[in-house]
Amino acid sequence: MEHHGLRRLLLFTIAVFFALSIGEKAFSAAPSPIIGTLQRVSGTAAVVRQDQILPAKPGLEIQANDTLRTGTDGSIGVVFHDDTLLSLGPGSVLVIDEFVYAPRQGKFSLVLRMLKGTAVYLSGLIAKLGPDSVHFVTPSASVGVRGTKFAVKVQER
Amino acid sequence: MKLWPRVQILWPLLFLLAGCSGNRDLKVSPSAPHAKVEQAQGEAESSKGDLFVLLPEPNGEAGSIRVANAGGSQILDKPGDMTRVEDFNRPPIAPRLLDEKGVASIFGDALLAQPDLSPRFVSFTLWFESDRTKFANGSKETLSEILTTVEIRKPKEIHIVGHTDRVGTDSHNLKLSSRRANFVRDFLTSKGVKSSVLFVSFQGESRPFVYTEDEVAEPLNRRVEVMIR
Repeated sequence: MEHHGLRRLLLFTIAVFFALSIGEKAFSAAPSPIIGTLQRVSGTAAVVRQDQILPAKPGLEIQANDTLRTGTDGSIGVVFHDDTLLSLGPGSVLVIDEFVYAPRQGKFSLVLRMLKGTAVYLSGLIAKLGPDSVHFVTPSASVGVRGTKFAVKVQER
Repeated sequence: MKLWPRVQILWPLLFLLAGCSGNRDLKVSPSAPHAKVEQAQGEAESSKGDLFVLLPEPNGEAGSIRVANAGGSQILDKPGDMTRVEDFNRPPIAPRLLDEKGVASIFGDALLAQPDLSPRFVSFTLWFESDRTKFANGSKETLSEILTTVEIRKPKEIHIVGHTDRVGTDSHNLKLSSRRANFVRDFLTSKGVKSSVLFVSFQGESRPFVYTEDEVAEPLNRRVEVMIR
């Protein structure tokens, strides 16, 4: 009987460890938060992530909620995972509020909020596949996008 | 959004990083070809408000954007169309044309920073006969281009999106667009394309290629778009 008790305890412990390790795996297999990559960088530019300031360099991976900033001599080009292309000219600030590209679930959303400077946007698959899925917002207006290319200049306020 | 306050705290630091003078001189070409463009140049130069300019896509086509706020909205649908918006309560001005020089003088740096186009997805459009799941003339060539592209690219994703024109009810067209998309899917799988890379969707008459009133027959809107990457 005692043996049974011990064995049960042992089995239980193993089960718990197993469950924990699966849990950990499941957690680490969650969708990657990476949503794109910096491609072209010149002059001073940075990606701001929570309390980190990451100097811009080609290949730097970006995440949702990152803020992109360029200095007065800076410009950057970003390739998002849905092939949206975005570039910023000097003195620009843009926040990536939302990025969802989940074709299996049919979920698509991109929200970009520009605070100042100049930007050029070229649609990727999110705009092509999801109706009304892209919103480009400035302090004065919101742009509804159908697959296309456009430029925005936001004055300093 | 919840990260916003923390980002804001960082801004003074970033200004140091970036340097403080935000304003740049705009070079505007002195000889604009006609009055409307000149007016647009002046409009673009004005520091008041935000500018929105529709640009031609790499394939030369231009889609459309709708610029909207509490004051009203404007649709830009020709390459070079520009609108200016002073603040959120004032309507965007009526679109006017900004020529290439004007675009380059304001957006030159941002345009130079645009990433490479070559790794992007490629799009094809297959046209259909009215109210049918039958390819219109010319689609045969496109089909073979699609198959060649698949062979070369070994794509991980092929998106197939069905559309219709605006003749008939919304629900009829939704079904019709679904049939067209599935027709293309079946064609591709019959040619040996792996179904695991195919993503089929349909949008009925809701996303016309060219805008028309309801019940207008428009061959350009009867289509299936195929995007390969």
